[in-house]
Amino acid sequence: MTESNRFWTVFVREVQSAVRTRTYIALGVVTGIVLFGLAYAGGGPAGGYVPTVVDTLVAVEVLVPTLAFAVGYRAIADPAVRGELDILDTYPLSTWSYVGGVYAGRALLLLTIVVVPLLALGINVATTAGPETTVFASHRGVDSPFLFIRFIALTGLYALSSLTIAFLLSALAGSRGRALVLALAGLLVITVGGDLAVFAGLDSGVTTSTLGGALAMTPAGAYRGLVFNQVLYVAVPGRSAFVPTWVAALSLLFWWGLTFVGAMLATDAA
Amino acid sequence: MTGETYLTADEITKTYGDVTAVSEVSLDIPSDAVTGFIGPNGSGKTTLLRMLLGVERPTSGTVSYGGPAAERQLGYLPQRPTFRPGFSVRETAGFYADLVDDDPDRLLERVGLEEVAARPVSGLSGGMTRLLGIAQALAGDPPIVMLDEPASGLDPAMSRLIFDIVESIADAGRAVVLCSHELPLVEETADRLVVLESGRLVRTGSVESLREQTGGPLHETFTALLEQDRATIAAPEGEQA
Repeated sequence: MTESNRFWTVFVREVQSAVRTRTYIALGVVTGIVLFGLAYAGGGPAGGYVPTVVDTLVAVEVLVPTLAFAVGYRAIADPAVRGELDILDTYPLSTWSYVGGVYAGRALLLLTIVVVPLLALGINVATTAGPETTVFASHRGVDSPFLFIRFIALTGLYALSSLTIAFLLSALAGSRGRALVLALAGLLVITVGGDLAVFAGLDSGVTTSTLGGALAMTPAGAYRGLVFNQVLYVAVPGRSAFVPTWVAALSLLFWWGLTFVGAMLATDAA
Repeated sequence: MTGETYLTADEITKTYGDVTAVSEVSLDIPSDAVTGFIGPNGSGKTTLLRMLLGVERPTSGTVSYGGPAAERQLGYLPQRPTFRPGFSVRETAGFYADLVDDDPDRLLERVGLEEVAARPVSGLSGGMTRLLGIAQALAGDPPIVMLDEPASGLDPAMSRLIFDIVESIADAGRAVVLCSHELPLVEETADRLVVLESGRLVRTGSVESLREQTGGPLHETFTALLEQDRATIAAPEGEQA
């Protein structure tokens, strides 16, 4: 039995567990309803892919970490409370294989919940976008499904980073009650706290020239910046970099890697 | 009949802040034998067991494994085993078996759960959940199996069944360690007893040798040993034997 087989065993159990949990199906349906509702309320699908991204971006920025925390806040806390981690300590199963397997299973679930409704929305845009003029109509020449695919890919990366943060907090929690409290706190920090901290920094060192870089340091700021740089730039002539792209990309990667390693260390200590 | 030493604890201590849960305990765990940890509530049995397992790190002292080479050296049944809901008995056994290339059906047969293999784990009685926990503890044929209160809260028939299974596990050449308050069953099953009080090892020996000290059944021996120990602690230094 190799480590990769053990990783696979843990991963398969997570996927089976997710498939059998009807709540997750409901979560996916609700996500779809919210995304379609927002897009149609703003009239985006009739205008094209970029208007649809504009209509949904703010909501997605909050919705994705919320879904990530819903999927991951008990991922490590639950088995710790059940005593499963103590039992697994007696098996030749490395922390990497266990946390990695659980993470991969839940990441697949999260990406399904997030990506499937977005893909459906993209298909809907492809079949319903009308010729009427909007503020983005002059850019229809550059509006393309590839921009929407980029949006989905960036949203996927943002979801994966949010999920590792949820995993870290879950591993630190030690009980289901604390896991919920930490999840709510973590969600607030990701969705509001990061931007607030940057804006608070305007009084102490952050300037308008460094604001973009500072915003790119937070997961939500990095995601938003990358969507503006890689998707919405077509709608803003003469402006191409809202945040430094490489800083934002590294920031998302950093949050993903740092919190994943943190989750493994915390699981080891749990 | 006891065999070679599979596990050795050398002066292990565990403290939580100012509280000492286990104090300088040294002991050997032999193969082909059931070693029973007995002692009042809070005497440090579970903490000692968890340190021997490696789940809990000793504040000082060492635990060393001296058994045969094995993919999984120690099997463990926690005090209240709980399994992930939404899975059947066989799927649950299969998950643990897959981690060590074992056969889940063999494990379920070993504890007599083959008839309920399709039942969801949430539909198991407390005794059956404990049996599934023992099946899991046997996955991968570990040379040492540790069971924390395997029969607590169960009816007499189920307790009897579980202790019979415990006995058969040791008959297969393993070292079995168990913590229990079921003194009559421990007396019948254990080859060797470790008596703990307030985190200290009060006495070790065979059931017969400890019984010789009081001449009564184990619960009387147990009470007498603890009283002797308390008297020793309470006596001024010069008066101690």
